[in-house]
Amino acid sequence: MIYEAKKYKIKDVWPETSDNFLFKIKTRINPQPGQFVEVSIPGIGEAPISGASYNKHELDLNVRVVGNVTNALINLKKGDKVHLRGPYGHGYPMGDFKGQDLILIGGGCGVAPLRGIIEFIDKHRMDYGEIHLFFGFRTPEDVLFKEEMDKWSSKYHLNLSVDKTEGSNPFNCPVGFVTEILKKAELPTHNSVIMICGPPIMMDKTIVILESKGFNDKQIWVSLERHMKCSNGKCGHCMVNGKYVCIDGPVFRYDEVKGIDE
Amino acid sequence: MGRFLKKEGHKDFLGRLKEHAELIAPVTRDLTRFEVIKDINDINLKGKNPFFPIKKYFLPNQENLLHIRKGLTKAVKEHSDKRIIFGARLCDINALSVLDKLFLNSDYPDQSYKQRRENTIIVGVNCITPPSEYCFCGSMDLKKESYDLLLHENENDYYIDVLTKKGEELVKYLPEEESDFPLPRTDKKLEEKNLELYFDNQYWENDSNLCVSCQRCTTLCPSCFCFDVHDSVNSATKNGERIRTIDSCHSKDFTQVAGGHVFRDTRLKRYRHRVLHKIQFFKEKFGRSMCTGCGRCIEYCHSKIDFVKTINENFT
Ligand code: SF4
Ligand code: SF4
Ligand code: FES
Repeated sequence: MIYEAKKYKIKDVWPETSDNFLFKIKTRINPQPGQFVEVSIPGIGEAPISGASYNKHELDLNVRVVGNVTNALINLKKGDKVHLRGPYGHGYPMGDFKGQDLILIGGGCGVAPLRGIIEFIDKHRMDYGEIHLFFGFRTPEDVLFKEEMDKWSSKYHLNLSVDKTEGSNPFNCPVGFVTEILKKAELPTHNSVIMICGPPIMMDKTIVILESKGFNDKQIWVSLERHMKCSNGKCGHCMVNGKYVCIDGPVFRYDEVKGIDE
Repeated sequence: MGRFLKKEGHKDFLGRLKEHAELIAPVTRDLTRFEVIKDINDINLKGKNPFFPIKKYFLPNQENLLHIRKGLTKAVKEHSDKRIIFGARLCDINALSVLDKLFLNSDYPDQSYKQRRENTIIVGVNCITPPSEYCFCGSMDLKKESYDLLLHENENDYYIDVLTKKGEELVKYLPEEESDFPLPRTDKKLEEKNLELYFDNQYWENDSNLCVSCQRCTTLCPSCFCFDVHDSVNSATKNGERIRTIDSCHSKDFTQVAGGHVFRDTRLKRYRHRVLHKIQFFKEKFGRSMCTGCGRCIEYCHSKIDFVKTINENFT
């Protein structure tokens, strides 16, 4: 049954920020980087959430509190159960990127799915070249995965930034939009792939900068956000200009979705 | 191969259908609509195509996807009721081919839809003259498919086209003979155009300014079935259902995401999306138009917005 969701145990859950919670769920559902699952509490409803890990035994989900379902989810505790179905969609074709440098650009909770890519890269480190990370958050309080930033900066080229600070800057990171940081960065335009995940305006601005740096559209991969109700290409809610974000995406090569309007 | 049914054998034929399974056919009261037949004399094939298409027998407006019992999910039971739908026309029948592409998709087949498709025998009728001036199926490349039997009326008899074994069972008492029949012809025709060129055309806006978002177009379309999924439970018992309800791309919150952003935030975008999905997007993906030319979305539109006319006359 395509709508049937199975229940899984929450191994742990903690707040990452005031409105983002990380759930560790004991399950063999292991989304490929960029894929998502439908998470639900029977009686409340379902919400599509991207995988934020790459692990055969447990799944990390970053839950941002934005609606009914996510509001109910954050009341759950370690040991409680959630229902999951999936994984769904086409993620990043990591196999095709072998031998190339990878540039991951994330804004806000768009960094969560990129964390899944990083965990994938950790497990397949020899397959890829240099890894550049550009992660932008609103304020230092909004930074996700704070604990992991040190680890990432020791292994990869991490560029963490915050749009503004209201006092201290515990990360000692540049203050300004991630797009500004990107503008100044030296990046390999050859034999490299870019993966962007973030709010639509941030993605648009990022792409303009990348194009001006000489990247071409076929090097750029974006992840689109829609409210997936069925996740199996039927309900129509996720359709953008003839493409189903749930099954054709959510990850698209930029030239496939460039300039589409609705 | 097909069979021939003499005109005078018509009632006997309908009687046999009624005996075989629950019979559903057009009946005219306030409107013509499909209903369960108690008396075969109630059936009316003359006049208008039934107001509501046959999709509701496969995809009801509201349906339980899962039961919720004490906070856990439980599968719904199989749909095993056998029925015969008599008197559907080729537009509604071809719309089943469209819905099949979505709901019988091999990666994610929809069980309820599949069971109802398998349990339903379709005995269609071919339109000699279109039942409405709004019909334009003659330009929509309809196929002789997705029915079990189809009756084509000749002067003295009916030729019954037989496509399936289930259909064959119902007519094997009739003489067999190979014959052919023409598809319906309509005066109204949708011209084929490269709509990409007209994406920013002013006429989308002119049309959509008349739209009141009543959603009759999508409700009455035989091949539209976008839906919403939500849970409904009794707060004390925690028992309830996960429900699918028919939805419409003409509703404003259709593309709303968590946090409140609406992607198709104007009537223009929503109207254009519907029309393009019906006649362009679906075709690009599945090789056939989603629209089968029944004309309902024009005839019964609150403002009689006619996308066929707009495309034919204004996209030049
Ligand atoms: S789009 Fe309109 S004309 Fe085409 S099948 Fe649907 S209701 Fe009929
Ligand atoms: S039937 Fe007409 S007025 Fe109503 S939503 Fe459709 S296009 Fe708009
Ligand atoms: S989420 Fe239903 S069609 Fe994509």
